[in-house]
Amino acid sequence: MAEFALEAKTLVKVYRARRGALLRRPSDALRAVDDLSFRVPRGMIFGLLGPNGAGKTTLLKILSTLLAPTGGEARIEGFDVAAQPLEVRRRISVVLQETASELFLSVRDNLLVYARFQGLESAAAPRRAGELMELFGLTDEAERKVQDLSGGFRRRVQVAKAFLVRTPVLFLDEFSTGMDPILKRAVMDLLRKEASQGRTIVLTTQILSEAEELCDDILILHKGREIARGDLNALKLLSRGVNEVVMTFDRIPAGIEEEIARFQPVRSHVAGATIELTLKAEEGRALEIASQLAKRGHVLRVEIHGASLEDIFVELTQSA
Amino acid sequence: MSSISAILYREGTIRATNLTFVFWDLFYPLCYLLVFGVGVTAALGSPVSAPGVPYDSFFLAGVLGMASFGIASNSAWSFFMDRDNGIFFEMLTYPMSRAEYLFGKMLFNVGIGLTQAAITLSLGSLLLGIHVKINGLPVLLVAVAIGTAGWFFFYTIFALKIRRNDLFNSVTSVFYFVFLFASSMFYPLEPLPRWFRSIALANPITWQVDLLRYGSIGLGDPRRLVMEAVAFTLFVFACFAYAVRSLHQE
Repeated sequence: MAEFALEAKTLVKVYRARRGALLRRPSDALRAVDDLSFRVPRGMIFGLLGPNGAGKTTLLKILSTLLAPTGGEARIEGFDVAAQPLEVRRRISVVLQETASELFLSVRDNLLVYARFQGLESAAAPRRAGELMELFGLTDEAERKVQDLSGGFRRRVQVAKAFLVRTPVLFLDEFSTGMDPILKRAVMDLLRKEASQGRTIVLTTQILSEAEELCDDILILHKGREIARGDLNALKLLSRGVNEVVMTFDRIPAGIEEEIARFQPVRSHVAGATIELTLKAEEGRALEIASQLAKRGHVLRVEIHGASLEDIFVELTQSA
Repeated sequence: MSSISAILYREGTIRATNLTFVFWDLFYPLCYLLVFGVGVTAALGSPVSAPGVPYDSFFLAGVLGMASFGIASNSAWSFFMDRDNGIFFEMLTYPMSRAEYLFGKMLFNVGIGLTQAAITLSLGSLLLGIHVKINGLPVLLVAVAIGTAGWFFFYTIFALKIRRNDLFNSVTSVFYFVFLFASSMFYPLEPLPRWFRSIALANPITWQVDLLRYGSIGLGDPRRLVMEAVAFTLFVFACFAYAVRSLHQE
């Protein structure tokens, strides 16, 4: 048995430049994944973060055998994604970014067809499908065709499928799109439970609070390269000296935006009577700035805390 | 093997729960035979086809060829639907090879092709009194099966290469016009102008329809039919190889 659930060594993916032809548009060459190496132990929730175009989806496509790498190698449970794609596919479930479901089939048939592809026993499939429809709030829609459902419900069907079988590795690309907060929480609990039972989960997300809450290990990508890697605490160390100040006034003081700009924040946001600043400053200095701003009006609430994953993400991707 | 049975289960469930698909795949060709075949027979009689052969009997092979072509075109269009809603790429991550995926879909198409051929032959015989030669049935069924498979692979190449649904629809419309009319599907080739006949003889659908015509009513030159059978088999293998290659490039 392989030591790691996922392993990538100097992985490279270059999309070649294409000349325009009758049925296709021209495109420039693009190095979407650039010399990436990482290992993910079993039972871990591994987050892939990065701005749009960072190479997350390309990486996910390579790992799920949809794309062949240009160089380097990647292994899932010890099997090479390029040389042994079938062995890899037997060990993965994939939820892609797009809402992928069988439009012409009912919700129940979507689950049963997926079960058939994954080789789930025909006696167990209807029972398991019923449990998942219950969990995902799909029981009332069981016999409706997916094409008649809203985008949110279609997404539920798609994500529910990933829990129908227990493949060792689960890839989730933006899994929470279209989910309400209650369902999202239930799915997050389920993901934690699956991981605790040894299933490895790889997720990409733009919602950084989700990654902050779920991931044991995070890889931040930018232009196809690794710019940071580690658990949340390790990443926070990278952003030492970054503090966030949140202040709520009874009403927003006049000229506060000019005052904020004077402190040169990494980013700032004014919404209603609340201001949010991310400062590249030690805690003492952040406190000082907060007290200066407090003189501009009647403060109802002040909060000063260390960098969030979002701050780290912004700082790293902007400085990369 | 289990992945192929899963594909058959998927395609079967989609068809069984969407009755309009069943109509287009199984009964539309028969309607064509009933309306067009009967109309031309009544209006123009047998001289349109071949001496002593009623037009609806002559046209039966054309309808079976058209059905192979139509089933393949509908199936290839489903690649667009699957790609548009994302399930196509998700399916490529399921535990099966690309060749198994195509083979499974082809097998289902062949099943549909043979079923519709059985319906068209039975009802054509019952309603129109078309006399089908029993000893030609093996040739006919093989031509339906290989033809449906071949056209499916042929269309798959275009469905995978073309990214836009509107462009694909335009291409299939052109294919329908060129392949179906520049062939022996609707009329015998002998009275046609030389240039037209040359084009039609190089058209794979002529090869398939000629075999179907021989299988259904025994019409055709055996020497030419052997050459057409060989050419059509090579065409099918070439399309299969290129379709698998196209799918690998997805």
